[in-house]
Amino acid sequence: MTSSSAPPRKTLSKIACNRLQKELVEWQVNPPLGFKHKVTDNLQRWVIEVIGAEGTLYADETYQLQVDFPEHYPMEAPQVIFIPPAPLHPHIYSNGHICLDILYDSWSPAMTVSSVCISILSMLSSSTVKQRPEDNDRYVKNCKNGRSPKETRWWFHDDKI
Amino acid sequence: MANQTEAGPRKRKAVDGELGVDAVTIMETNQLPAEEEDAIDSNPNNNSVGAGASGTHEVFPEEYEWSCFRDAEIMQQQAAIREEAIKVPYVRDKEPLSALAAEFELGSSILKEKIRLLGEQYTALRRTRGDGNCFYRSFMFAYLEHILETQDISEVERINGNVEQCKLTLQSLGYTEFTYEDFFSIFKEQLESVLQGKETSISTEELLSRSRDQFVSDYVVMFFRFVTSGEIRKRAEFFEPFITGLTNTSVEQFCKSSVEPMGEECDHVHIIALSDALGVAIRVVYLDRSSCDNGPVAVNHHDFIPAASADGSTEPFVTLLYRPGHYDILYRR
Repeated sequence: MTSSSAPPRKTLSKIACNRLQKELVEWQVNPPLGFKHKVTDNLQRWVIEVIGAEGTLYADETYQLQVDFPEHYPMEAPQVIFIPPAPLHPHIYSNGHICLDILYDSWSPAMTVSSVCISILSMLSSSTVKQRPEDNDRYVKNCKNGRSPKETRWWFHDDKI
Repeated sequence: MANQTEAGPRKRKAVDGELGVDAVTIMETNQLPAEEEDAIDSNPNNNSVGAGASGTHEVFPEEYEWSCFRDAEIMQQQAAIREEAIKVPYVRDKEPLSALAAEFELGSSILKEKIRLLGEQYTALRRTRGDGNCFYRSFMFAYLEHILETQDISEVERINGNVEQCKLTLQSLGYTEFTYEDFFSIFKEQLESVLQGKETSISTEELLSRSRDQFVSDYVVMFFRFVTSGEIRKRAEFFEPFITGLTNTSVEQFCKSSVEPMGEECDHVHIIALSDALGVAIRVVYLDRSSCDNGPVAVNHHDFIPAASADGSTEPFVTLLYRPGHYDILYRR
């Protein structure tokens, strides 16, 4: 499987495992519109297909999200990145890292994989320009050692996209 | 903006944790010290409006080297503060109120007088770690310790009824059951175990050690966050004016960004909601440097009396000491 950064390798706690199994069942019964979970036997890493919404810059384009769950999910946020090639977006880096507050400091155990997916799609849909973040090259270069986006100090200043 | 160090808010909250250690300094600079403010100019919370806020980098190329250097320094500093905070348990041992007096020995005369007055009504305090969850951790311990000491079974039955009601509230608001059920059951487990005479019963020491256990403590904190959020959303019309006045965001956005994430501090709005939802009265005693212009210094307090028990007879048994940015537990005479 492709991976652009080292996922958390500690195995899931029992409570995390139970929670994820329930999320998976719920996903199968009621998948969020525009997403497809690619079935694997790995509960700790989900690969999810995203289809750009109609009427947006990303209509009919397909991308893949990789979601890695930490040992203490849902107390800790999952690590969510696009598997390159990542969509051209002012808040998405070419290595797939996403600058979105709910993936980091504003994460809450009240959220789910499904709600995170919906937030990402809404971030894509509201984009008015297809371009990389200004600091893309610099940031990506600094991630070469396999740094996780969760180790980044993000600054969320844009509440429109 | 992507800067290559660890997440920001943790640090700000760890700074709040310094309160207990160095309260004088913090009290003098009620708001964050200027250099600290500068160091956290990348703090997502300053700019974020919760779910959906995103952003990029804004450092000019010529400043970049310097900015990396500064980030590395900040990262080290943050790690040091975090390590320091972790040494302090979530809930500390009970201390006589004189410990507070000693801490403020060099503080303002108003504070010293207020602490003297506090001593007339209260005997001891129990500090909690300042990590943005201190209100909830204080409330958890104070409430459960009260039940353990009084063995008030009717109170347990009453709160269990409210907890069930909170579950229904979340359900009707559209929360998926699996997002909150684990947090509810961990809380109910603790509540059950402070009642004596069962195989699962625990002592005060065990309650203390559970309250210091990251798993139990965080899950109970999160339970309170769910309850608080549910109550605010259920009575959105009532809470809206407070919230828009405070943060200029919608009720839903407020819950998503200021109630549900761990480490988000507790304000009046949160306390009203939690107290109403669980039906537990809470007294908050304020220790700050405010004073009346005329008349003697007095220690102010505010009783949060649950809306449902408005007969006014409820004397709060949970008493917390508030110092700007932090809550600890107070014990009455």
